[in-house]
Amino acid sequence: MLHSLWQSVLGEIELSVSHATFTTWFKNTELISQNDAGIVISVPNIFAKKQFEVKFNDQIKTILAKNGINPKQINYIVSTTGKHTRLNRETTVEPTASSSLSPADDLLSNSSRSQSAPTPAVTGGLNPRYTFDNFIVGSSNDLAYTASRAVAASPGVKYNPIYLYGGVGLGKTHLMQAIGNEIIKNDPKTRIVYISIETFVNEFLDHIRFKKKGFSDKYRNVDVLIVDDMQFIAGKEKTQEEFFHTFNHLHQNNKQIIISSDKPPKSIPTLTERLRSRFEMGMAIDIQMPDFETRCAILNIKASLSGVTLKQDTIEYLATNIKTNIRELEGALNQLLAYAEMRGIEPDISTAEGLLGNIRHSRPQHISSKQIIDRTAKHFQLDANEICSEKRDKYIVVPRQIAMYLLRSELHLSFPKIAIELGRKDHTTAIHSVEKIEKAIKLDFLIREQVASIREKLYA
Amino acid sequence: MELIVTQEKLNRALSAVSRIASIKTQLPILSNILLRTDGTRLLVAATNLEIAITQYIGAKIIKPGSITIPARLMSEFISSLPKESVELKVVNDNLHIKSGSYNSIINGFIADEFPELPTINESSSIQYSIKVEDFKQAVSQTIITASNDSARPVLTGVYWNSHQGQLYLAATDGYRLSERRLVETKSEVSAIIPTQTLQEVLRNITEESDQIDILFDETQVRFRINDTEIISRLIDGNFPDYRQLVPSASETVITINKADFVRITKIAGLFARESGGSITLTADKKKKTLSVHSIASQMGENTSETDAEITNDGQITLNYRYLSEALSVTDGDIVEFGFNGKIAPCILKSTKTNTDYYHIIMPLKS
Repeated sequence: MLHSLWQSVLGEIELSVSHATFTTWFKNTELISQNDAGIVISVPNIFAKKQFEVKFNDQIKTILAKNGINPKQINYIVSTTGKHTRLNRETTVEPTASSSLSPADDLLSNSSRSQSAPTPAVTGGLNPRYTFDNFIVGSSNDLAYTASRAVAASPGVKYNPIYLYGGVGLGKTHLMQAIGNEIIKNDPKTRIVYISIETFVNEFLDHIRFKKKGFSDKYRNVDVLIVDDMQFIAGKEKTQEEFFHTFNHLHQNNKQIIISSDKPPKSIPTLTERLRSRFEMGMAIDIQMPDFETRCAILNIKASLSGVTLKQDTIEYLATNIKTNIRELEGALNQLLAYAEMRGIEPDISTAEGLLGNIRHSRPQHISSKQIIDRTAKHFQLDANEICSEKRDKYIVVPRQIAMYLLRSELHLSFPKIAIELGRKDHTTAIHSVEKIEKAIKLDFLIREQVASIREKLYA
Repeated sequence: MELIVTQEKLNRALSAVSRIASIKTQLPILSNILLRTDGTRLLVAATNLEIAITQYIGAKIIKPGSITIPARLMSEFISSLPKESVELKVVNDNLHIKSGSYNSIINGFIADEFPELPTINESSSIQYSIKVEDFKQAVSQTIITASNDSARPVLTGVYWNSHQGQLYLAATDGYRLSERRLVETKSEVSAIIPTQTLQEVLRNITEESDQIDILFDETQVRFRINDTEIISRLIDGNFPDYRQLVPSASETVITINKADFVRITKIAGLFARESGGSITLTADKKKKTLSVHSIASQMGENTSETDAEITNDGQITLNYRYLSEALSVTDGDIVEFGFNGKIAPCILKSTKTNTDYYHIIMPLKS
């Protein structure tokens, strides 16, 4: 009640004063009591108190009167309660002159620390929803899953760092957070920090710009450091250097480091050599697209979490039509369930067809076979004509096969049509090429990555 | 506003206050200083919303009034003028400054925009008049051990507290701690004054000042030196109960000539730069010597020795910077350095009988 009244007063004042004035004086103010004698407003410091008494008193009275309150008088008190939560946050340890020699103990370790509220283990940024239990394991991610389990069981010992990479929506974040949550579960005192590299970059910039202290300690005093979206460190040289030192410090002290990225270390452009080699020294595992069975399993579990059991054909329909990404898969499922509930109909295959028809067909509509060929050629720095030519040089053959594969997988063209598009007379070449790439995708990382990257550009 | 003032007085006032008028602030007016007539005096003030400094200077007031103007330009202009009288006149929110053949117009803002300077309840019972020498010594002895880690705000100030009828100053950064008794007190005090405030007060002490008046209320403190007033917020929070950390007795006590101790510490420090300042002190009871050892793996090593009175053999490893800083603020010619084994805090104080000061340092793990 008091709070909402004060909010409306603040709202009105904000309109009448400059932004700087408002943030300087009105931040951290609160209306704390109201009775017959008058009202009391808490302000953050002595300067604000005086300012309110002299400058803003009349204005506040007028606005309060508009809200039907005519206090006899307004008292202002200095109160920093608003800031207490900030003061009680984790106490960072001071930097020491040397890393090998540290003071035997903090003088205040048993006095001040015990006074401040017992600091719960820093669960920095972990979402407890992500656990190993609700991670669905299939052939595409079982290696990553097993390695993550091993890391969670003995952090800092096995696979350090563990580097997970793969496309969007394949479960990297889920796995990393699951490791963190599992470690916390085993030992609640572990200090874990989960950040996106972007946060790291921003904090680093703040640290430079405003000469903030304690930046390096923040990340060096943890037991487990989880960094998401490492690819965004590309091109940020100073950040790479800072991260390099943080990495070394943690690694030397046997602290676990967990990294995710959408590319393997060697494919991140402008990543300095020393970081690249470090990322590769633990274990780098890719998470691949889930196969059909895994997609079905995911849909089954997600549907049952929403309290719905879907018919097998519906699930298969969804799993067949959405292949790229689990997030999209979930989105489609949610869309289907919401649609069915709204209309009061069964979320069966016909509903799914009606609803997802546009998802399925939307893609081929704006992609032409020419685009696929051009993109592929461009990716390999070839001319489209070369791909369509008779040449059988190796550097042309593979791109040509990839182009055929993409024509088949993205546009569902018939083999004879594919052959015609690429100037072949015989459609068996097309059959052979598509089969070859399908096989290669499972075995050869390079091919897989190239296909994924061309596909990404096609839909970009 | 129209008045005449001497360049010397105005320059001194401006240089005292303009330092805290910061340009790095979200409220642009805070980079200005306030000029306001106050009876027969001119008030010159600036604030950064943590502290406010006010200077009163005598002036010939022709027409009362006020204005705020950019601090830096004003103080640099005035300091460049010869030592003559300066005429200040406000015309249309601009300040016209005339001194001899120098004429300037500085664009100002109306003074209404300037934050109100806080006032303190004069009737507060917590007030002290302290000799400038004592104040200066006590503050400089303790301020060096205050922390600058903003994550633990209570440690970033000096704790003024009353204990058994005495006023004490104490500060700690978690690795060292110092305490100094200042004066007797009848009232109960418990206030943490930000180090920046105290540094500002020290800067404002001039040769003419001999007494400093300090007045506390619940949330603020005011220092008054001659015609300068500094009002500051206090740091909110509870200072750790540091008295329990003071070692009651030391197993090894070294009584040593301070100058000798300073010299061997300094020499050992030269060789300790690579090892993070770590030096090892060894007390030998039989030989009656204290030796200091430090190693610079690339450059060599050093062992220095000096005579001392020693109660028991012992060894301790310290950061030499902490030790030399502690020695530099400890008074007296002979000091007493005591410790209990390698990992307990060690204590340094003067051997003078009524010593008011002690300094505690945590050893390094060796």
